[in-house]
Amino acid sequence: MSGLDVGGGRPDGFEHGALARHLRLLGAQLRMSVLAALEYRVEFWTNGVVNLAWSFGGVVPLFVAFDHREDVAGWGAWEIVLLTGFFLIVSGSFATFVQPAVTESMGRIREGTLDYLLLRPVDSLMSCLVAAFSPWSVLEVFTGIGLAVLASVQLGLSPGAEQIAMLVAVLVSGLVSLYAIAVLILAASFRALELENSIFLMETLLDFAHWPISVFRGPLKLVFTFVIPFAVMTSYPAQSLIGGLSRGEVLGALATAATLAVIARLAWLRGVRGYTSASS
Amino acid sequence: VTESKAGALWRFGVAEAAAYRASLLIWILATTLPLISLVLWRALAEDGSIGDYSQRDFDSYFVTAFLIRQLSSSWVVWDLDRQIRTGELSSLLLRPVSPLLHHAMTNLAALPLRMVLTAPVALAVLFAVGGISTSSDPLALTLVPVALALAWLLNFVTQLAVGCLAFWITRATSLYDVWLGAYFVLAGYMLPTSLFPAGLAAVARVLPFHAALGFPVELVIGRLSTAQILTGLGLQLGWIAVLGSLALFAWQRGVRAYGAFGA
Repeated sequence: MSGLDVGGGRPDGFEHGALARHLRLLGAQLRMSVLAALEYRVEFWTNGVVNLAWSFGGVVPLFVAFDHREDVAGWGAWEIVLLTGFFLIVSGSFATFVQPAVTESMGRIREGTLDYLLLRPVDSLMSCLVAAFSPWSVLEVFTGIGLAVLASVQLGLSPGAEQIAMLVAVLVSGLVSLYAIAVLILAASFRALELENSIFLMETLLDFAHWPISVFRGPLKLVFTFVIPFAVMTSYPAQSLIGGLSRGEVLGALATAATLAVIARLAWLRGVRGYTSASS
Repeated sequence: VTESKAGALWRFGVAEAAAYRASLLIWILATTLPLISLVLWRALAEDGSIGDYSQRDFDSYFVTAFLIRQLSSSWVVWDLDRQIRTGELSSLLLRPVSPLLHHAMTNLAALPLRMVLTAPVALAVLFAVGGISTSSDPLALTLVPVALALAWLLNFVTQLAVGCLAFWITRATSLYDVWLGAYFVLAGYMLPTSLFPAGLAAVARVLPFHAALGFPVELVIGRLSTAQILTGLGLQLGWIAVLGSLALFAWQRGVRAYGAFGA
């Protein structure tokens, strides 16, 4: 499926050998980003360390809250550390993979050079989602994994097979939802380029994910569980390890992610169809 | 003559802001972190005050913080960084008016439109939380515009000082990101600084971050004694003097260095 239907013989991305071709593209783009990152080492500081410091800055209010309270909405200090670990994994993935690719693709829409991406013999959305990476930001993901492990040890958690399965399910759901929302923003920017900055809006909203979902009540809780599922991204993974996550919630997370993914895919196809490159 | 130049720059700034109104609106929405904090702290304060802040105090604090942040913001660091890197600055330098005045006026000129776009957001939040309480002290209320103007100036000279570093390094905006990170934590943007542990609070409250946001906010919501108000204004003036002289020094040296490589 592609918006640019140039001829009958054009590969549609789903025929024999398509998967290998897509993986080769992903590999090539990753390699290029890593090489560029090694070339411009100052980005270790600007993308890696500064991002990490920002994310830690976001945690300060939580720990100030502990100065005044025994727990935050039922979560103890180490449980919040666990949550923060998952937050860093999500926000680091956003900074490493999602945001650079979306920003690059938007730049191409603006300049009219998106054509070159669309003409590749791979799926157009895939082509855009691997358009750029920011490898140094992965530092945040590693720090997050480290924190999550540390907190699990401190809490004496010994998750069984079912809990690990739940963890994987909600983590994958969270990341899929994150991608889906970014794709929706990207698709919207075909219509109005002013929406370009919405990706920063997304970054701001991500701050909600610092906090356990149990802080929220009423409509906001519903929004953060099903519409912009920050709960699925950070609270659920932590809860799956601590043991407070029901199977129903896992199913809800999977369903939400799947729905968002489908909507994003449809919005993307619609957006590409409406795209009339710079030359036409 | 300078007056008419400033007037022309103002009109230019207003027109520019109007042309980019959609981007401006999204920027406003992207700087709603205080409103996010409002939701969180108000939820935490549901079963009793935190420190000396009740739920309503948090409402007042963060709605005010949101407005002050909007009214005191500028973006000269990004403009200056780009203009120096790409050489755009050369054409500004040829004009019969200082680029500094150009930036000051265009940044100020966006404020009215910014307010128009901010008002519905602020009103919606005010309606949702059921109003806020502000200071009833006439002295405090008279000094609010002064503190606000000084907060704007402090932000502007800070950005100018960091932006001028682009004359020598290529990543001045990243350095500003570091500043901004500290601002988020220490300015009273994510939480009132008085909730910090006592020692940290004492340090945070004399830093320029707090002078640029936390102080005017506390002034508006009436948390300061007369002595504290005067100290706050003094700190604002002091930091403006320090960072302003740094900015002017860097600007003068920078323009000389810039001319030297024939731009």
